[in-house]
Amino acid sequence: MKLLRNKRLFILMIGVILFIALMGFTRGRTGLTWPERFLNDAFGTIQGAFYRPASAVAGFFRDLSRLSDVYRENEELRKTVAQYAQDRIRYNTIARENERLQEELNFTERQKQLYNYRYLFAHVLANSSNPYDRTIKIDLGSRDGIKPKMAVQTVDGLVGVVSRVSEFTSTVQPITELDPNAPDVVEVAATVLGKEGESFGIIDQYDSENHVLQMSKISQTDPIAVGDTVITSGLVNVYPKGIVIGKVLRKQVGDFGLTLTATIQPAADFDHLSEVFVVVTPDVDGP
Amino acid sequence: MTIRMNRTIAATLLLVVLETCVVPWLIPPAWSDRLFPHLAFIMTVYVAVFGGRHRAFFFGLGFGLLQDELFYGHMIGAYSFGMALLGYLCGLVMKRSRVSLAAVIVMAGIGSGVLDTMVYWIYELFSLAGVSFGYAVYNQVLPTLLLQAFLALLLYLPVRRWLVRTLPSSAADDGPA
Repeated sequence: MKLLRNKRLFILMIGVILFIALMGFTRGRTGLTWPERFLNDAFGTIQGAFYRPASAVAGFFRDLSRLSDVYRENEELRKTVAQYAQDRIRYNTIARENERLQEELNFTERQKQLYNYRYLFAHVLANSSNPYDRTIKIDLGSRDGIKPKMAVQTVDGLVGVVSRVSEFTSTVQPITELDPNAPDVVEVAATVLGKEGESFGIIDQYDSENHVLQMSKISQTDPIAVGDTVITSGLVNVYPKGIVIGKVLRKQVGDFGLTLTATIQPAADFDHLSEVFVVVTPDVDGP
Repeated sequence: MTIRMNRTIAATLLLVVLETCVVPWLIPPAWSDRLFPHLAFIMTVYVAVFGGRHRAFFFGLGFGLLQDELFYGHMIGAYSFGMALLGYLCGLVMKRSRVSLAAVIVMAGIGSGVLDTMVYWIYELFSLAGVSFGYAVYNQVLPTLLLQAFLALLLYLPVRRWLVRTLPSSAADDGPA
């Protein structure tokens, strides 16, 4: 009996060592081996068959419960459309003007195409049920031109970044996983809508307890104010320019008193996603 | 009594798919960051109860690894380790007691609590958890524990009916009772 107990303990120790090695090895690894890709794709197909009907039914019931708001929402939308029609005319004029100026200033092809993003529509296939590793799976993969580190957004705002790609599916790491300690997470360079030139900060942490993002390294002279809409700045390569991140809730002095930090309410709803867009940046000077 | 492993594995694969695709839509938005049901773990407990600890060990290892792999975010291995260990421990406990509904439910509940705590500490070890221990216990482990016990209750009859085969007592060697 004593021998048996020792054997069990021995196996447990070996198991602990093996698993810590496995966790350490898989932490911060970016690629996937072919069995992993196969498993992801096989399950992705089945998951898609279940997720889409479930989201449709749930969406129907949610729409029913929001039926009373429809009238007010319609009013709101009508106003927005009127505004949009005006803005559209202005936009066209300015875009044409901009193109002409770029032509005159001899912009290279790369510079001209820099902000010409493509948006690929993707269905969500599944949600992770691990509270500390909340990933989302989408039904686009390397076959569709998805590469790691592409930004993913909904119509509301930034969701996250593609972390791993298989042939037909890919895994999205939402910005709720932002953590300065994680090696595989990409911080978001952010600015404020309407003050793009003057405002800058880095969003590097998500506070899971209060469900807000932390924006740090903001200069003390920064004009950022409570209620401002925070967008990606595009100054760091990963995230394209101009994706809405959220609204500023609070602004406070940072740890050493030299910089400011801001608390941001994310715009996208991470819980019940069914459709997302993958933002493809033009790859003019790439291979 | 013994468990039909092939059917159990097929059923658990289906449950894993349901857990990741349908269950998130059934949980109300206000609770979506509190309830994280793990149907594969409940099935591991059933395997431990009806099939013995060694089967439960490999079952937990396999399905834990599957779950880790399908939602590979920061790292692989937390659920695989926890489910294998707890499957084995559940089998060890059940060797000494009789199979009853109450025992299964209590074990699924407590096991789920221990599993979630263990996963929390593994992520905290790599400083990836992002929340304090008190918050995790109060907001994630305890609500999930209650839900898991309830789900174990729901799954009890289907498991007894379709996945468990009653043998003549002479042939039941590794099963309990």
